[in-house]
Amino acid sequence: MPDTADILRLESMQVHFPIQGGLFDRVLGRPAGAVRAVDGIDLNIGRGEIVALVGESGSGKTTVGRVITKLAQPTGGRLLFEGEDMTSVRGSSALRPYRHRVQMIFQDAYQALNPRHTVFDVVAEPLRSLRLVDNASQLADRVSEALAAAGLNPPGDFFARFPHELSGGQRQRVVIAGALAVRPELIVADEPVSMLDVSIRAQILQVLVDLRDKHNMALLFITHDLPLAWSIADRIAVLYLGKLVEIGSADEITFNPRHPYTVALRNATPQIGGNADRGKLPALQGEVPSAARVPRGCRFHPRCPLAFDRCREEEPPAIEVGPQHLSACWRSEC
Amino acid sequence: MSESTVRYSPRGRTRAIKSFLCQFLGHGGAQAGLVCLVFFLVLAAAPNTLVGPLQTAINATGDFLVPPSGEHLLGTDEVGRDVLNLVVHGARISLTIALLATVISLVVGTSVGITAGYYGGRVDVWLMRLTDFFFVMPSFVLALVITPVVLEVMGRGGDILGFRPSLFVIIVVIGMTSWAFVARIVRSQTLSLKERTFVDRARVVGSSNIVIMVKHILPNLLPQIAANGALVVAGAIYVETSLSFLGLGDPLQPSWGTLLALAQRAGAASAGAWWDLGAPGVCVLTVSLSFVLIGNALDDTFNPRRRVIP
Ligand SMILES: Nc1ncnc2c1ncn2[C@@H]1O[C@H](COP(=O)(O)OP(=O)(O)OP(=O)(O)O)[C@@H](O)[C@H]1O
Ligand code: SF4
Ligand SMILES: [Mg+2]
Repeated sequence: MPDTADILRLESMQVHFPIQGGLFDRVLGRPAGAVRAVDGIDLNIGRGEIVALVGESGSGKTTVGRVITKLAQPTGGRLLFEGEDMTSVRGSSALRPYRHRVQMIFQDAYQALNPRHTVFDVVAEPLRSLRLVDNASQLADRVSEALAAAGLNPPGDFFARFPHELSGGQRQRVVIAGALAVRPELIVADEPVSMLDVSIRAQILQVLVDLRDKHNMALLFITHDLPLAWSIADRIAVLYLGKLVEIGSADEITFNPRHPYTVALRNATPQIGGNADRGKLPALQGEVPSAARVPRGCRFHPRCPLAFDRCREEEPPAIEVGPQHLSACWRSEC
Repeated sequence: MSESTVRYSPRGRTRAIKSFLCQFLGHGGAQAGLVCLVFFLVLAAAPNTLVGPLQTAINATGDFLVPPSGEHLLGTDEVGRDVLNLVVHGARISLTIALLATVISLVVGTSVGITAGYYGGRVDVWLMRLTDFFFVMPSFVLALVITPVVLEVMGRGGDILGFRPSLFVIIVVIGMTSWAFVARIVRSQTLSLKERTFVDRARVVGSSNIVIMVKHILPNLLPQIAANGALVVAGAIYVETSLSFLGLGDPLQPSWGTLLALAQRAGAASAGAWWDLGAPGVCVLTVSLSFVLIGNALDDTFNPRRRVIP
């Protein structure tokens, strides 16, 4: 079970992408806006803990993952790994120790594999670039070991294959093997099963859960699927338009959600008993607003059935509604 | 390397290469181009055994401007040299110049293009300004500027890396004026390749920028480079011919362009000596055309979407 010490912390993490104003705006000196993809997030992940990051498309999940894996540079806030500030560390050699401990699994495994690299090349790449092996036989051993751990058996049969010679599930296993070949302490998994057949999903999830159980590896599991998050995670963080609206244990979030957005999310998924509450709150209406035009006040208010005057003016802070359970809603106060 | 790596590694690549070759060789244009090219490569490889040593005014074997006959299959030129002999020896000079110039062009163009596209920002701006400068520079002007300098420094005699100084200048000039084209294509491809997820993954697993450029981006550029490289060779042969025709060649190592220039100056056209101008001219046309055909075939093989539906 999870250790209490945090391995990773995000403090008021913020990623704004500048919008390139048109020529007209520039001539008139109009300020170009920004896409507030991630807009002040506090999140901690414990050693060996599985945290699910849940949100609709465009809520900024991938961007959070990219910040943690140092693929995107935040515009504000801090990224702390075991208390050490990694926010401004850059360059492949300076990041080598960090890369050794934090890895990533991508949503689209086909895109994540270089079409001209064999499976062996893919899994060997981190071992070579992070200088984790001394000689070729060690390299081959660790590649085999990683492929086997990711469920590709016998590993030798896959060495010389190219990505197009693999099935979708096998490709994702290759990506996973590449990530776990370095024996990281945290893996960011960005919708690792959303492109896969339902029949293969459970197997891939099992590989990830095994990693935690055997090696005490922490996992940030990014998904848009609340029941899936509940089935795998210890804690769930719900993201809406770049901000965490609710965070708590998986059971609390799933069966006792406090934020109207989480409630709506759950109502939209009958598998976890959404039906029981249907009467209380209507289903979500309207489109997700664009991250380029985040509403004033509570960013959920245009779609919130419980919105009142204060919501349109003031942004609610994260309010403690239970042990380890925070909800950013004015209605949670009482 | 462990037993299993050695046993399995080559197989996938061999298979990929085999299937590529099958497709490529099935292409009509590629077949025609390859046949011509092999023919000229054989000429270039062994001119002495095929037609004897290069003839000069001193060891010329025939009369002046004899039309083609059994003795001189392609006739003779204005000093009695056998045109077949000259053309076969010219193949070696012309092809060597074109291929070496292409190598320079591809190496410089690819390095500049990848660097500009991958790093972007200010690096991109400055490298692309440099590229544009070379892109618009006429090769003839550059040759005129460089030739006297090189000849002054090196002297007219002797050789540079086995080439007479003026030929060396031609190689460098063609290389310098053709890489910009390659750099532009490579840059635009790099811009899209670097956004691919596999480049993100390479970064996450700790690969440095150099490794990403060489191991991830370059292999995906090779089809483009190969296809355009063939076009660069065709262009190089053409430029070499015109530079030599304008008198920048070396009469002691005559390329097809030099032969054309000599024939022209001797008044072959007005004397009705069509063989003297026609033989090197047809060679230039055939070889550049076969490289264009090969380049297009490579392009079609690598971009199946562009292939015309039969
Ligand atoms: N490089 C970028 N430049 C500009 N805007 C970006 C960039 N990357 C992401 N965004 C914007 O940031 C917002 C969040 O994007 P992100 O990809 O993180 O969402 P997501 O939650 O992963 O969505 P999905 O479920 O569709 O993958 C979106 O509005 C997106 O358009
Ligand atoms: S703060 Fe107001 S608008 Fe926002 S979720 Fe709570 S009730 Fe709805
Ligand atoms: Mg995403």
